[in-house]
Amino acid sequence: MKKNIAKVSSLLLAALLLLTNLAMPAAVFAEQAPTKNGITSIEELNGKDLGVQTGVLYEDHIKDDLEGETWYYYKMPNDMIPALESNKIAAYLIEEVGFYAQRFEHPELVRLEEPVGVSDFAVIVGNNDKQDRLFAELQEFIAEGRSNGWLDQLYDYWVINWNPNTCKIETVPETTGENGTVSIAIEGGYEPFSFESNGEFSGYDVEFMMNFCAAYGYNWEFHAMEFDSIAPAVIAGKYDFGMNIVVDEERAEASVLTDPYYSCDIVFVLEGVTENGVHFMDGIKDSFYKTFVKEDRWKLFAQGIGTTLLITLCSIAFGTLFGFAVYMLCRHGNPLANKVMNVFDGFIHGIPTVVFLMILSFVIFANSSHITAISILGFTLIFGCSMFDMLKVGNNAVHRGQAEAAKALGYSDTQSFFKILLPQAAQHFLPIYKNDVISLIKETSVVGYIAVMDLTKMGDLVRSRTYQAFFSLIAVAIIYFILEWILISIVTRVQISIDPKRRAKSKILEGIREVE
Amino acid sequence: MIEIRHLRKEYEDTTPLKDVNAVINSGDIIAVIGPSGTGKSTLLRCINMLETPTSGQIIVDGQIINDGKCDLNEVRKKMGMVFQSFNLFGHLTVIENIMNPQITLLGRSRQEAYEKAMDLLSKVGLSSKALAYPDELSGGQQQRIAIARTLAMDPEIILFDEPTSALDPSMIGEVQSIIRMIAKTGRTMMIVTHEMDFAKKISNRVWYMDEGGIYEEGTPKQIFENPRQYNTRKFIQRLSTLSYRIESDEFDFEPVIDELQAYAEKLLIENERTSKLQLALEEICVNNLFELNREPNIYAQIDYSEKSDVLSLELKYSGEHFDPRDSDNELFNNILAEPTTELVDEEIINSPKWYNNHTKISFKWED
Repeated sequence: MKKNIAKVSSLLLAALLLLTNLAMPAAVFAEQAPTKNGITSIEELNGKDLGVQTGVLYEDHIKDDLEGETWYYYKMPNDMIPALESNKIAAYLIEEVGFYAQRFEHPELVRLEEPVGVSDFAVIVGNNDKQDRLFAELQEFIAEGRSNGWLDQLYDYWVINWNPNTCKIETVPETTGENGTVSIAIEGGYEPFSFESNGEFSGYDVEFMMNFCAAYGYNWEFHAMEFDSIAPAVIAGKYDFGMNIVVDEERAEASVLTDPYYSCDIVFVLEGVTENGVHFMDGIKDSFYKTFVKEDRWKLFAQGIGTTLLITLCSIAFGTLFGFAVYMLCRHGNPLANKVMNVFDGFIHGIPTVVFLMILSFVIFANSSHITAISILGFTLIFGCSMFDMLKVGNNAVHRGQAEAAKALGYSDTQSFFKILLPQAAQHFLPIYKNDVISLIKETSVVGYIAVMDLTKMGDLVRSRTYQAFFSLIAVAIIYFILEWILISIVTRVQISIDPKRRAKSKILEGIREVE
Repeated sequence: MIEIRHLRKEYEDTTPLKDVNAVINSGDIIAVIGPSGTGKSTLLRCINMLETPTSGQIIVDGQIINDGKCDLNEVRKKMGMVFQSFNLFGHLTVIENIMNPQITLLGRSRQEAYEKAMDLLSKVGLSSKALAYPDELSGGQQQRIAIARTLAMDPEIILFDEPTSALDPSMIGEVQSIIRMIAKTGRTMMIVTHEMDFAKKISNRVWYMDEGGIYEEGTPKQIFENPRQYNTRKFIQRLSTLSYRIESDEFDFEPVIDELQAYAEKLLIENERTSKLQLALEEICVNNLFELNREPNIYAQIDYSEKSDVLSLELKYSGEHFDPRDSDNELFNNILAEPTTELVDEEIINSPKWYNNHTKISFKWED
């Protein structure tokens, strides 16, 4: 017995020595939980399809150690869960914190105990005239928070002990606001750092920045946007701070990054082995509850519909007027006006909508925070160009003799355009107009890139909290469909009502006495 | 009423009008005829400034209208225009096509405009179509409506730009009779047309246009029956005739045959008859007359009358006489013997144009 103990303890000792000397990682970590696809170590991921969030650069830690793997990039961390569950990817990379947050809703998720690295997270400071001061102040605040342990407390509360049902900002700190307002770019759908709760933003990042602002006398303003737009938007100076930026050399050179305000392990997440016990209908009920009822999330959808409709309707109205005005200028073949318009038209139609919007928001109007107005401007220009093209096509489709006959009768140019040409051209271009209205509504879904909270973005936010793709996606799809249907019915009604050939015969001679 | 001075119209590649001078008096009915591409329509369209003249002046009621200062819309209200392609407003009913310009441009009340429109519709015989749309009507009906629309504006002059050219032959008559009806009311009119009979009957002045201007002007009788200028004569005659002057035994028949073929194709004459005519021409001219006369002087004319369906070859020549019946060509003799062939052969005494022989062979088509 004693011999045995000695044997065991010597073996243990040897093992410990080996560990310390060779730093064999596997032994240090907790026991690896079984996974569905049987993968339990990093080497086994060679040649597999792997997921990672766009812009976080976690894959840089492990790229050199893997072979033949393919990376798939996802906008939101939670979108990787359905991808994993449908076997699109074998595993995905996420920071430890994100994993704990996800596991609360998805207990079937399992991490590889062996981390791929550690990431530091810093705040990026906007490239504008406030940059130097804000940078110094935030550096000071972070240093102080480290030394007095406040940052650790915050991390413990939001990350280590994360519980989505109970964690919230207990007390919103009071600020004097004497030094003005700072704008902060956050992901907004990223528990536990920033997420939407009861119509307010909450989370680690939010509480951290609120406290910073209170300490230095600023009012705060949070803007949620796609993760990969945060850094460009802040570097462009559009926002004062961008949260949750992974520190790497290239980034540190290109922009002003603070010291890390937290660090954590980056791990691979896989699907674990679970028994599926939830009844289908209960699952649906649960999803419905979480998507619409919990925390009054339907209000988010309503708000998103409002924004989408505002942008769509304003862009249609202004775009129609704009296209019409430009067409009137170009109508007589004014060579300068036509050349300018052709170049402009080519430019606008030639670049993807989302790129065009980002240029407007981050380059041309980098100092403006009226993002909804910028979106409306962008879509007005896009729709205006289509309108211009439509008028051109429509009027060309009207026989040349119509204008000539009007002219010969003595109609002035304006009279001939409005009384003879336009009513006929309208019947040619209105069907195209309808299609363009549909395209416009659909295209507005990219405004999330410049931090506008439209219907799609609201759906993303809800999805990031429910960890369930199905309901919010379907809901968003149905809402878009209904909006399109309503708008198309309106345009069709207009089309019919101004179609001269569909007038009632009795209307044509209204008010005229028959002569003998 | 309208005076045209040194009117010139240039396009990038052509100059249809070089120097046009003319006066249109009140009550004139002018038929403008001439080959295609000689600027007939261009002239008409310059008069109401649908085309801007390159240089020259157009003076309407003492006012120069192409100097850029004139209110063209006011001038155009005084000039009606009827187009080849009708150009009725497609989105309006017939009655609105006639009413709306009156309301918009002349400030008439709806009731007034309606009464005028209905009156004109009954004159053109289309009262029942008041609520139809133009695309529901035949070409002839559309053109009648277009004429009514023009008349409703009470213009001082009406310009007709080939009003029947786009029409099915069966509909030409109905439109021409409406124009004839207007002519009787004494309204000033100018008509560009390819219908020679119509031009002759309706007009009191005829302008034959060619070589960038009004080449010959005269009464219909002068122009159609006794044109003075060579081009006019050629134009008037060519309508049904091919003619050649053969003044050498080296005469090349190749182009004649090509032209004859094209002519036959255009007028839908059967190949058989054309070959017979060709054979006759060669037999008489090449094989016999060229032998008899060292220096031939032959006038050959090929006629085709659509009405009687007769194709004929007429030869007038000076010098020795040749009777086709004396031919030793068996094939030619067979043709002459056919019942559908008719021969006239005579010597002419005291010919005004020094031809002393006349031969005419007519080819009918068996019924």
